Amino acid sequence: MPAIVVEGLERAFGEVLAVQGIDLAVDEGEIYAFLGPNGAGKTTTVRMLTTLLLPTGGRASVAGFDVVDNAREVRSSIGVALQEAALDPLMTGRELIRLQATLQGLPTAAGRERADALLERVGLTDAADRRVGTYSGGMKRRLDLAAALVHEPSVLFLDEPTTGLDPVSRKTIWEEVRALNDDGTTVFLTTQYLEEADQLADNVGIIDRGRIVAEGTPESLKGEIGNPHVELLIAEGAVPEAERVCRELGKLLPPKDGKRVLLEVANGAADIPRVVRALDEAGVVVESLELVRPTLDDVFVAKTGHHLEREEEERKDAEETAPA
Amino acid sequence: MEAALPAWRTNLATIAALIARAKNELVRVPGAAIPGVLAPTIFFLGLNGVFGALTGLSGFDTGSYESFIVPVSMLQGAGFTGAAAGVNLARDYEGGWVDRLLVSPAPRWVLLAGNVLAASARSLVPATFVLAIGFLIGVQWPGVDGLLVCYLMVAATAAVAACWGSMLALRFKSQAAAPLMQAGMMALVLLTPAYAPLELLQPWLETVARINPLTQVVEAARQGFVGGVTWADTWPGLLALAGLLAALGALALREMRRTNV
Amino acid sequence: MSNLATSARVVRALGARSIRQTFRRPQLISPIVVFPTLLLAIQTGGAGAGIELPGFPPVESFLQFMLAGAMMQSMMLAGNSGGIAFAVDIEMGFTDRLFAAPIPRFAIVLGRLAGTAALGLFAALWFLAIGLIFGAHVEGGVPGALLATALITASALAVGGIGAAIALRTGSASVVQGLFPLVLVVLFLSSAFFPQELMIEPAKTIAEYNPFSFIVEGVRGPIVAGIDATQTLEAVAAIAGIVLLGLVLSARALRHRLRVG
Repeated sequence: MPAIVVEGLERAFGEVLAVQGIDLAVDEGEIYAFLGPNGAGKTTTVRMLTTLLLPTGGRASVAGFDVVDNAREVRSSIGVALQEAALDPLMTGRELIRLQATLQGLPTAAGRERADALLERVGLTDAADRRVGTYSGGMKRRLDLAAALVHEPSVLFLDEPTTGLDPVSRKTIWEEVRALNDDGTTVFLTTQYLEEADQLADNVGIIDRGRIVAEGTPESLKGEIGNPHVELLIAEGAVPEAERVCRELGKLLPPKDGKRVLLEVANGAADIPRVVRALDEAGVVVESLELVRPTLDDVFVAKTGHHLEREEEERKDAEETAPA
Repeated sequence: MEAALPAWRTNLATIAALIARAKNELVRVPGAAIPGVLAPTIFFLGLNGVFGALTGLSGFDTGSYESFIVPVSMLQGAGFTGAAAGVNLARDYEGGWVDRLLVSPAPRWVLLAGNVLAASARSLVPATFVLAIGFLIGVQWPGVDGLLVCYLMVAATAAVAACWGSMLALRFKSQAAAPLMQAGMMALVLLTPAYAPLELLQPWLETVARINPLTQVVEAARQGFVGGVTWADTWPGLLALAGLLAALGALALREMRRTNV
Repeated sequence: MSNLATSARVVRALGARSIRQTFRRPQLISPIVVFPTLLLAIQTGGAGAGIELPGFPPVESFLQFMLAGAMMQSMMLAGNSGGIAFAVDIEMGFTDRLFAAPIPRFAIVLGRLAGTAALGLFAALWFLAIGLIFGAHVEGGVPGALLATALITASALAVGGIGAAIALRTGSASVVQGLFPLVLVVLFLSSAFFPQELMIEPAKTIAEYNPFSFIVEGVRGPIVAGIDATQTLEAVAAIAGIVLLGLVLSARALRHRLRVG
């Protein structure tokens, strides 16, 4: 049975259609990543799926319950860690998890036990009685994640769980998500990071301007883009000769600069010895060689015409310089 | 998963947990209680110093203006505190905390009740402080019954103010609505016979005060301080607060449901 | 371009910014307009019968008497709001950008004060308009109205200077915000809301010497009676004293800020 089914889901804010009729299905036990830049409609979709926002069109069900008609049942089945970890800086970590247990209707004793176990699980036992205000960004996300797990939800929603985290903290969260998934929890996460989707997800949906523009496993999406290529750094003066040799081996890609030759290789790494041998025989010195596989960014560019991460940075810059 | 508790016990536990959380605002932030206490105290002492001579007019039941005004300042403190619960809710909205509550399966009225009852409990702090200052400068002892009625009015007024503030917080989702929360409660409490008995008010204010349900509340809270407590002066206050609580509570709940599903 | 012209342009630009900022934020504008207007209505309606008291100076109505008090309150809260906004600028590092620019430092403070003075002017006009709409006359005629407006505008500049000095010294918006109740204390301990002779001790004696009482009387005189040279001079002297205090504090705070970085 699919854990999440979305059909023609829409959300308008006034005239603006933030989510324009999306369809998707997430199977039980799957990690599904929603990949897209800020403002693409990721958070709006998550808010609809977690009953925080009414759809203006279409329908969706989570854990078998309709998000509009059976909101309460949905809430009992899901765990949610929203963007910017909504935490009260004045509470201690332990108090927060216990409050969450109460909110989910757990008896007091069970809630206490569960809180201790979860704090242990996310490595916050030592910090459990400190106020959340003193936690680092990574600790806050881990606490938020623990709170979302208090009632052993069957579906977990993570809205940009690692945005703004350092690489080490990000890895910790990833490991935790994988472990949860191994235990059978379905995970729906949104991310702006290609690497995150690539690393974690069984299936990826790419969303741009409120529409899903591509969907599939990371491998199949990358496969759609085409073959990998080798990037050859050629010794000075030998570039024309290298190009002549390579042209006989396969398709040349438009050069980046005057020192490199880019050659498409259908079989990936298996083609490398053939390329090296041919160049060697022609007396061309190769200074370095790199096999470049298509990334999800390439998929994104192919589907939307713009880059994901660069646009993200530009947007951030624009926000920072905007007057208050 | 553990055996489910009966719903009423879960609801009660949730309300208690939300009140415990609200208590942190007072206990864990140094000096947090001061503004809530300071404002009604300044108003109490200030109004007394400025308008104390008004008791010289015929129509006052008492020669002690401090006794006349102290319940008003206590109610004003309740209004401030209650509205502040709305401001805090708006802040929690901005920070995402409210999402944590709304995404839980707890019934919406339980979430509202936690916030409102916490405000009620908090309002006893400024009220008690103002009253203590009042006794120091010569406020008459209102009798145990008078005191109880006054405190009941204070706690219920804070609950009304918290419903009002929560409704606005849920509608505007921004602390920018704070002045509206505070000004609304200030108007409700003070557009009554707060400064002088009804018949001494300017005609326009007398008309407004006769319509304003808080007039009954001010009169009920004041009775012990200016005379004896009677049921006839108490029940209109209770009725007014029950009506306001029902109306504003329903509106706040509607905003909460409108926000999500 | 001459230095003076540059400074004048900076002052104008920063002043315009601070006015825009105030009108765009409900939290900043409502203490200046909403609360004093509400309090004016409540106090006029509630304590209006006070003009019947023996010893109350001859006035046409309590509203006419109260206009000066409302203007004072609005003007002082404008000074406080200006201080808060300035402290926010310091917290966010906006002033660092200005300090790093090749413009005279006093122009930065003066720009903020120009904005506050403009808000004082707005306050005076707002309450004059309210007075005229609700039937209060300005006995001093157009010159009287102009004098009252000028005094309030100058006072806003003076009070704003103290707010800016505290903002510069502490660099903390919450500290400046914490002064809000102090504004009320100063007003309650002046003749802003009731004739000084009819106030209750100890407020009565304090009000007699409170410099703000002199300003209030200087503003009130032209409204309820007519222009009086002595009264006007006393008000101007009180304003000058506050300006001087603000200048000294600002200069010291500015030096302190540049020293500690």
